[in-house]
Amino acid sequence: MLNINSLSRHYGKKEILKDISFSVKPGEIVGLVGENGAGKSTMLKILATLLHPTDGSIALNNLTYKENRKKVRKLVGFVPQDIALWDEFTVEENMVFFEKLAWKKKSKEELKQLCLDMKLEIWQDSVKTLSGGMKRKLNLAITLIHDPLLLLLDEPTVGIDLKSRKEIGSYLYRRAKKEGMMILYTSHDMDEIISLCDRVFCIGNDPFYQEVLQESGKEVFKL
Amino acid sequence: MKYIIETRFLHWKRHWPSLLFWLLIPLIATIGIAKAANAVTDDSKVPVGIVMEDESDAASELRNEIKSTPFIRVYQLEEDVALYRLKKHQLDSVFVIHDGYEEEIREGSRNRLLTSYRSDLSFAYTPVKEMILSYIQQETGRSKAAYTVQELIGHYQSTKQWTWDEIVAKSKEIQSEQDLLKTSFSFGDTENSSQNNDAQLFHIWGLWAIFSLLSTLLLFDWIIHEKHASVNVRFAFMRYSFKHYLVFNFIIYTVLCFIVDLLSVSIFSIIFQEQISIWSLTSFRLTLSIAAFLMANLFRRQFLYYTTAFAIALIMAVASGAIIPNTGMIQKWPWVDMLNPLQPFLSGGSANLATCIIMLFSIIWYFRKEEIHA
Repeated sequence: MLNINSLSRHYGKKEILKDISFSVKPGEIVGLVGENGAGKSTMLKILATLLHPTDGSIALNNLTYKENRKKVRKLVGFVPQDIALWDEFTVEENMVFFEKLAWKKKSKEELKQLCLDMKLEIWQDSVKTLSGGMKRKLNLAITLIHDPLLLLLDEPTVGIDLKSRKEIGSYLYRRAKKEGMMILYTSHDMDEIISLCDRVFCIGNDPFYQEVLQESGKEVFKL
Repeated sequence: MKYIIETRFLHWKRHWPSLLFWLLIPLIATIGIAKAANAVTDDSKVPVGIVMEDESDAASELRNEIKSTPFIRVYQLEEDVALYRLKKHQLDSVFVIHDGYEEEIREGSRNRLLTSYRSDLSFAYTPVKEMILSYIQQETGRSKAAYTVQELIGHYQSTKQWTWDEIVAKSKEIQSEQDLLKTSFSFGDTENSSQNNDAQLFHIWGLWAIFSLLSTLLLFDWIIHEKHASVNVRFAFMRYSFKHYLVFNFIIYTVLCFIVDLLSVSIFSIIFQEQISIWSLTSFRLTLSIAAFLMANLFRRQFLYYTTAFAIALIMAVASGAIIPNTGMIQKWPWVDMLNPLQPFLSGGSANLATCIIMLFSIIWYFRKEEIHA
């Protein structure tokens, strides 16, 4: 369970996040939407322990972020907006490289299966030659090597074709529902958010996203 | 550490030709340049012809004495060939050692032992002639001394009888052991670094140090590539922080370079009979690797880093005293020597002010607060 209590973040005098509180249950997929600059990426970075909140507290499975940063990091997976891969490596080498440095050990067969589950069927090809969709899948697969309890995705499907987007979405849904993985997801694609997320949080003051989502009948919360 | 080594091998798999090239360049370049310089020096020696009419030991010793003189190349020829080559100016001068040379020396005679020839272009004739004359004078003096010793033995009716040959042999032995007069040229503060009698145009370790400096700087370019890679963010969720990943890789590179350094020491010992203290080499390698590591951490663009690396190597080649002697500059500004990171290695020591500064910066780098991925 992820609990966020009265979370705030300031950049100098500018207040990005103000008094945010919510919780995420195991197996739940939560969407974060809002206009550019609303604080979605800041929120994910705080939850990924990459940024400190100015105020408030966060706890993952009763482990508070402030006191248990290192332990929390073992349970968190963060998929950055930019593709974070070694371009000159093959798919296999990328997977092996990050497995060697990961908290959890996996065999080469397990790593290959992880890619296959995501419909990433090329193993020996160089990352340079992969399509945008393939790169995004590999970007996600690497994050999942250590089987995180909380998966944070910052616009993971931006700029990729519909087929790859659907494949990534259905894979994440399976992982969440089968293994109880908590997923927080930011995207500008409302269709994707509506079809995938159990709950959606709107960050920022623009009512546009809230209106669009309410029309779809989705449970929407204002942060 | 095992896992970091395995990840490093994944990188090396792609770049092994350049890795091997930069690891071996100090060794290969030093041998290449030193050998080429020696070959040039050999070609620039003055060609002198020797005609041996006398095949005695004394005549051979004279020939070997001339041969051992630096900057003279000796050709042993028949007289007609030697004179023909002198006419063609292929030889600077010709010296004929006449039959009976040894007998004449034994009798203490210094007249008509040799005949010398020169051409109108002979520029080294006089110094070579003077050198031969001084040698002959030394040998006739030795012979006379031997006869005098024998006379004294007879005069004082000593029980121990010495032959002329024994006295001369003993005299030569004392001369070689006691080395009454010795002149040697060496780099500043390097009087104990080499016992090599073969004159090297370049200071082998100085040359090697400059190439090592350049190759180490270029080998550490992986830091710029990996520090600014997008994958950096992933290290927050890994077993090792990015800082520890960098430190472990620094150790891997330093050990790898040190192995190649030891290989270089062995090869230089065989080829050039050059030796160096292992402590000095270890200190040099550590200083160089830390300096390269810290410097690479300051750069974002590889091209700028490469340019700076070549500029530093060039400045060190000119100012450090590794290749060109910098005694004049050190006399004028003694602090330059203290800030020269190559100075401890070139002088056979282990540390100076520059080493301490580099170590201090490395400690600051390690303990400073990380700005990213807090």
